[in-house]
Amino acid sequence: MGKTVTIVRNVMEANERRAAKLKEYFDKERILCLNLMSSPGAGKTSLLERTLADLAGEFKMAVIEGDLQTDNDARRVAATGAQAVQVNTEGGCHLDGSMIEDAVAELDMAGLDILFIENVGNLVCPAEFNLGEDHKVSILSVTEGDDKPEKYPLMFHLSSVMLLNKTDLLPYVDFNLETASAHAKKLNKDIEIFPVAARKGDGLDAWYGWLRKARAAKR
Amino acid sequence: MHELSLIESMLSIIREEREKHGMKRIIKVRVVNGALSGAVSDALSFGWECLTQEGDLQGVILDIVDAPLKVVCGACGKPFVPEDAHYMPCPACGEILGHEIESGKELYIDEIEADIDDDPADADAPHTGD
Repeated sequence: MGKTVTIVRNVMEANERRAAKLKEYFDKERILCLNLMSSPGAGKTSLLERTLADLAGEFKMAVIEGDLQTDNDARRVAATGAQAVQVNTEGGCHLDGSMIEDAVAELDMAGLDILFIENVGNLVCPAEFNLGEDHKVSILSVTEGDDKPEKYPLMFHLSSVMLLNKTDLLPYVDFNLETASAHAKKLNKDIEIFPVAARKGDGLDAWYGWLRKARAAKR
Repeated sequence: MHELSLIESMLSIIREEREKHGMKRIIKVRVVNGALSGAVSDALSFGWECLTQEGDLQGVILDIVDAPLKVVCGACGKPFVPEDAHYMPCPACGEILGHEIESGKELYIDEIEADIDDDPADADAPHTGD
């Protein structure tokens, strides 16, 4: 007959430990770290390209790009002049703390104001792995359907901001901004919601305003 | 979706605990999986089966206890167990927004049943000399 030993250890503890160490580092260096999450094709990279170009004179920014394969996104982002490092997960569905540790070691972090982490395109798994970020930011494009916050609750529950992207396509799709917003608010009453069209530049001032506020809070 | 990597994390915790407690043979591992943990119990069972088919933990039983979602109403403070994780009207005041999640996000190894070499709790006891 065996003996029962009480353990009570979180299965995610290794990642949580790494995330806590990263958070401590970002706090000490006063770097605002944002974890951007969305489906593939929602416009994370386009939003970043635009943001990096528009705010280049204001902040020193860098990007960690997560994808299964290729360095296409890191090249797109680097074309704006910002530092970028690509992490290929080789099939992995999310970024984890150890990947961020490696990526941070490759970046020149001195004097950095904002570090963007572009997570792997996936509405499910990235939300489960903390990366030491100050805020999670979810991006939902209007071509995906306004019921996504309801279908994939965790990501929206944990996000400080939801950007509703591609609003220039609203006349062509069956997407109700109020419905999507109401679903997200139901999960998270404090979530800030900004409708934008990243490629056209529409609505980005509200997003930049939030970035400035979040950045100021880290000083 | 990443249950296999969760099982790998579990196996490394189990091996650490086996070492720490001087476990000779592990019989059963109990894991508590919250309704909002993001891990699907069936997928965890399947991942466990795949990764313990051979090797040092072959044949160990995985016992998954599903833990329900418990929330505290954001308006009136009443704790309750919602029937649906997506629509959670408070039974006391009807509020649907802003509830605090009290439990249901957890995924942890609760206990391990094993044959133990030397019980560390007995280590301080007088040695019987056998």
